[in-house]
Amino acid sequence: MAEQVLGVKNLTIQYKTDLETVYAVNGISFSLDKGETLGLVGETGAGKTTTALGIMRLLPERTARVSEGEILFEGRDLQKLSEQEMQKVRGGRISMIFQDPMTALNPVLTVGTQIGEALLLHNEENLSQKEIEAKVEETLELVGIPKERKAEYPYQFSGGMRQRVVIAIALICNPELLIADEPTTALDVTIQAQILAMICNLQRKYGTSVIMITHDLGVVAETCDKVAIMYAGEIVEYGKLKDIFEGEKHHPYTVGLFGSIPSLTGDDRRLHPIDGLMPDPTKKPEGCWFAPRCGRCTEKCRTQAPPVWEKDGHQIRCHLYDAEEV
Amino acid sequence: MKEKNAGGLVCGTISAQNEKKSCEMGQENLLQVSHLKKYFRTPAGMLHAVDDVSFEIARGKTMGVVGESGCGKSTLGRTLLCLDEPTSGEILFDGTDLAKLKKREMKKIRPRIQMVFQDPYSSLNGRMTVRQLIAEPLLVNKLCKTRNEVDRKVEEMMETVGLAERLATAYPHEMDGGRRQRIGIARALILEPDFVVCDEPVSALDVSIQAQILNLLMDLQESMGLTYVFITHDLSVVRHISDEIMVMYLGKCVERADAKEIFRNPVHPYTKALLAAIPIPSVESLHKVRELLQGEVTSPVNPKPGCRFAARCPFVTEDCLQGEIPLREVEPGHFAACRNI
Repeated sequence: MAEQVLGVKNLTIQYKTDLETVYAVNGISFSLDKGETLGLVGETGAGKTTTALGIMRLLPERTARVSEGEILFEGRDLQKLSEQEMQKVRGGRISMIFQDPMTALNPVLTVGTQIGEALLLHNEENLSQKEIEAKVEETLELVGIPKERKAEYPYQFSGGMRQRVVIAIALICNPELLIADEPTTALDVTIQAQILAMICNLQRKYGTSVIMITHDLGVVAETCDKVAIMYAGEIVEYGKLKDIFEGEKHHPYTVGLFGSIPSLTGDDRRLHPIDGLMPDPTKKPEGCWFAPRCGRCTEKCRTQAPPVWEKDGHQIRCHLYDAEEV
Repeated sequence: MKEKNAGGLVCGTISAQNEKKSCEMGQENLLQVSHLKKYFRTPAGMLHAVDDVSFEIARGKTMGVVGESGCGKSTLGRTLLCLDEPTSGEILFDGTDLAKLKKREMKKIRPRIQMVFQDPYSSLNGRMTVRQLIAEPLLVNKLCKTRNEVDRKVEEMMETVGLAERLATAYPHEMDGGRRQRIGIARALILEPDFVVCDEPVSALDVSIQAQILNLLMDLQESMGLTYVFITHDLSVVRHISDEIMVMYLGKCVERADAKEIFRNPVHPYTKALLAAIPIPSVESLHKVRELLQGEVTSPVNPKPGCRFAARCPFVTEDCLQGEIPLREVEPGHFAACRNI
């Protein structure tokens, strides 16, 4: 059994304002072993990024509150660390690739400075300025940017190159866990393929665990070992890649998500989208969050929160499979 | 229409052939573009955003334009509608050359050619309500005589694009991306256009919402007899919605064919690479080792002669670096610009 890097148990995050409470993440649990990739899939507002920020403890202080649950990283509960200890973990042991490479970089600092900054802040080996410079150059080459370009500014780079810079910042401290929040959404397909291949290669080289946040099931299929499908702050289906893509039983939302993708081979002219919109996250329903959009919704779904059906690690949060509990 | 220029000769003959063919087939081309060029002056030199592109679209059909960012597909869309004035070339819309129209004449024809913009978050005025936003095109073009008529049309349009009536007084910030894009579509369609350029209308949306909008666009095409130019970088979307597909690379059309044909039998190395780069949602693709395209798109400023794709092409030869590479018909209706096929 591989060593567990991250264990999230019953994580619940709410955003509180004077007017209302937004139930962003509602009791999700998952775990991640060394070298594994977990895909966190869902649409806008499903709570994917909030989960990531929760793990990083980067949630907005005034409004967000982790009301329940624990985040075990290398055996320690990240919630209980002091801010100082957390600063050592954040960016050093766990790092994050942000979604939009156009805004994630500081426009008035050279990329070399920005990559070096990450190492300077987590300088546990007391590297000299020169050694840091050398490491910056090494990391740049690693992500496929010629080292001569380290003195250039972000505006001189294309989108794909900027994302490489962001990845370099995330990787320079050799993190144990990498959270990639839609790393390729803003990029072209050929560049996306390059970036994904690069993340996979680096992961294999250093044994990094990755949480891949995405809405693209194609990206998931190419990179992930495990998949968690999120809807309205809950994990509605969780399992190995094979369970999600080829398993017999699925959550109706997963079925809808697959039905929405235009096929590259089929001849079906019409897509089969899920009707309706994401539910209002401020109004917690009595029953299932997905009930109003679900084609197979029953009376029970509207009144009772669905239980989790599980078989060999494949979990589905739905009333449909109640009767067949193992 | 036969403007003689370096590479234009061959393209000219091709479009002439095509013209003949489509006449024989009894199809009417709503839009006929020949040798369209759009250059921008930059401090570094001329930026060839759209360089000698020719194609035609039959009424009621969809032409998908695919390519990576910076390949000139959005500029092509804007130039087609003369939102950017073309540097040279001809845009025959229903027999009128849009490129030669005066401002006043253009204003008259404008309601018939409309655009759906990419980003529903920035293309709507945040200080206008949904009703005002959708009514604006009618008011600008002075197409309605009375207030009531405007209101009635707006209501109808909202229903057509699937916006609930209660949203009429809402502001864009109260809505999600899918609904905003529906407003954008309503704004384009309320003038009852013949021809609509959709510039990445779904790329800012979630998959389930994207599917709703794609279905909507296809339904509207059927009911209103619209002709689309559908610009996107998403190949699965373009295959789904288009009748014909044009692949662009650095301002040039590198391949053009029937939508199914291009996926079944891509001939240009760039098209092949583009298709190979799509992540496919199935278990087989896990850790698949692929032939990846190296490098990135080069600069479209003062491009070197020869094939624009040469710098990234795995099959490049000496021959590729010389002269213009014309589009050749490799199979009936299937055109590609490559020396090695």
